[in-house]
Amino acid sequence: MDHFPTNWGRPRNELYDQYNTFPLHHRPANAQNAFADGVQRTQQPIVTGTSVLAIQYQDGIMMAADNLASYGSLARFKDIQRLQPVGTRTIVGASGDMSDFQYIQHILDELTTEEFTYGDGHDLGPAEVHEYLARVMYARRSKINPLWNALLVGGVENGKPFLAYVDLLGTTYSARSLATGYGAHIAIPLLRTAVDNASQLLTEEEARTLLTDCMRVLFYRDARSLDKYQIATVTSAGVSVSDQLKLDTKWDFAEGIRGYGSQTQ
Amino acid sequence: MPDGSYAHPQQRQFNPYTENGGTILAIAGADFTVIAGDTRQSEGYSIQTRYAPKVFRLTDRAVLAVNGFAADGNMFVKTVKQRLEWYRHAHAKDMPLRAIARLIQTMLYARRFFPYYVYNILGGIEEDGSGAVYSFDPVGSYEREACRAAGAAQSLVQPFLDNQIYFRNQTPAPGTSHPTHLPLPDVLAIVIDSFTSATERHIEVGDGLEMYVVLAKGRSTQELASIRGAQELTPKEGGDRIFVIRRELKKD
Amino acid sequence: MSIMELNGGSVIAMVGKDCVAIASDLRLGNQSLGISSNFEKIFAMTDRVYVGLPGLATDVLTLREQFRYRLNMYTIKEEREIEPETFVHLVSSALYERRFGPYFIEPVVAGMQKQPNGSFKPFIAATDLIGCINFAKDFVVAGTASTKLFGVAEGLWEPDLEPEDLFETIAQTMLNSVDRDAFSGWGAVVHVITKDKVIKRTLKGRMD
Repeated sequence: MDHFPTNWGRPRNELYDQYNTFPLHHRPANAQNAFADGVQRTQQPIVTGTSVLAIQYQDGIMMAADNLASYGSLARFKDIQRLQPVGTRTIVGASGDMSDFQYIQHILDELTTEEFTYGDGHDLGPAEVHEYLARVMYARRSKINPLWNALLVGGVENGKPFLAYVDLLGTTYSARSLATGYGAHIAIPLLRTAVDNASQLLTEEEARTLLTDCMRVLFYRDARSLDKYQIATVTSAGVSVSDQLKLDTKWDFAEGIRGYGSQTQ
Repeated sequence: MPDGSYAHPQQRQFNPYTENGGTILAIAGADFTVIAGDTRQSEGYSIQTRYAPKVFRLTDRAVLAVNGFAADGNMFVKTVKQRLEWYRHAHAKDMPLRAIARLIQTMLYARRFFPYYVYNILGGIEEDGSGAVYSFDPVGSYEREACRAAGAAQSLVQPFLDNQIYFRNQTPAPGTSHPTHLPLPDVLAIVIDSFTSATERHIEVGDGLEMYVVLAKGRSTQELASIRGAQELTPKEGGDRIFVIRRELKKD
Repeated sequence: MSIMELNGGSVIAMVGKDCVAIASDLRLGNQSLGISSNFEKIFAMTDRVYVGLPGLATDVLTLREQFRYRLNMYTIKEEREIEPETFVHLVSSALYERRFGPYFIEPVVAGMQKQPNGSFKPFIAATDLIGCINFAKDFVVAGTASTKLFGVAEGLWEPDLEPEDLFETIAQTMLNSVDRDAFSGWGAVVHVITKDKVIKRTLKGRMD
């Protein structure tokens, strides 16, 4: 009889401790502890969206993202919408893991529904949505189980534009022009020149041209991007997300570059 | 491997921390304190924004500067403010500075095994009316000092402060002695010089400078009148007063 | 363990009005253990050219001899003394020869450069351990306290300092910087170089 309850249910190692003489706390554990290697919830993004761009302009906020969801280097889903209206005056743009984004869409939906059911005449504006997302993202990173996204939140509240960023670490910031992913490296210099350093705000047409130009530059240089994209605006009139747009691109320069076109020599 | 197979099993770990650059600084005078920080927020070589405050007013006599991982910093300030609100509701008065300092230690040490990756500097006016600076490490070790720099350019600024505030390595003229506390205009000049120097030599420092000035109750605001753009944050005149002064720093 | 931080030590050079100054600490250590408080790292190459060699102590001695040898060869061949700017290029090429097995030294050069009209112009420069030259107009720093030296010098230095003011500036910069560096300190030495004389002063520093 083994008098040590901690050993019950474990196969005894007769070779090692034939007469049960080993002190209790030193007994070799025969069974492998399920948590010996720690709980594995380290993850990586699987199906991903690339950059989101957003700027402040005359009438409010304008945001752009392409329609691609990649699976590694495979252009897997080419009709994905990454710009999500929330409530009446907020737009959320997502890059990073698309399944995590769908979960975020789900919780934002629940949130707005719950807010609506109170029927108190209040609803959530861009600042509240951003604050909420920042808390969710930070809470998840603190559980070492992040939602693998970088999000832009834009909107208009009492005629004032709002534009802010939040990512998988819970890092937040705001500026007159923002971009995630490759956009932060490639588009931000163009956006800052045209928006932050300009003496006056852009008109809607100027803003649209600027974002389209940036989407084009990104399409040329970001291998995980697509020439099909959408532009959303938030003005005091409300949120609107455009139909799918297509970039005008020129590839004739490739003709003269060896290895780029289809020369034989 | 070249054939696409893996020689070793790959393991990727999510890293819950990052560094967001910037520098903070606080100097205590006899009856005032200056708490300052730059406003650049960066990650790696990217400037995320040119205006993200790192210095926050807690009460009418306490200002907290946070530097390190911005998400932790903002969360920490949020929770400190919440605790101070609870205190105010329970005791019908603002928490004294030294108590806030001890509260911050407790809050930081509570997270000893998953720390807030943040360097804190707390500045303000003590109950005896003296200017005070408390500096903390990320897990709550703290100390009251006359001046402290922290963050990306700490190593550039702190020795300069040793020299200009503590008069280290300077011998007073015979029959004289160094002042224990500097006047406010001198302190502000040293703060501005410290940040322009740090901006010149450190890529993570720049864009804007935000200086909070806390004045003890009844102290003259005379010296602030000549400072361009000093803006008062405290509504009532009876108690301690807080002013903020903003300056541009180089953006390259 | 970093080889650049094994023995510790720091050097700084500054430009003034018709003068230059170069200063170093005097510590030689073995990691955190102090060994000597009389280890000079600044050497006169000519009457008007001084070089500071912070870094691995064994390489300080090796490079000093190496530069002495190369300088003698230059002087014999050219039948004239070397100018500071030429000397920096000599230093640079000597270091780059060892591009893939470098000397662990970041030299700092200070001197008075002879102009075509016979006058002298202050000159300073520094290189990294493989000889990339930094010609600066204000000041150059190197060694374990370099970040501190940058910060203090940026705050204290101003253009066109007279020799005595330049001495005070470089001395304060050095002392306050090494007091915040565990690997530098234990006294300092300052050379102020003008067209007709060099003043060397040894400074007492904190011994902790």
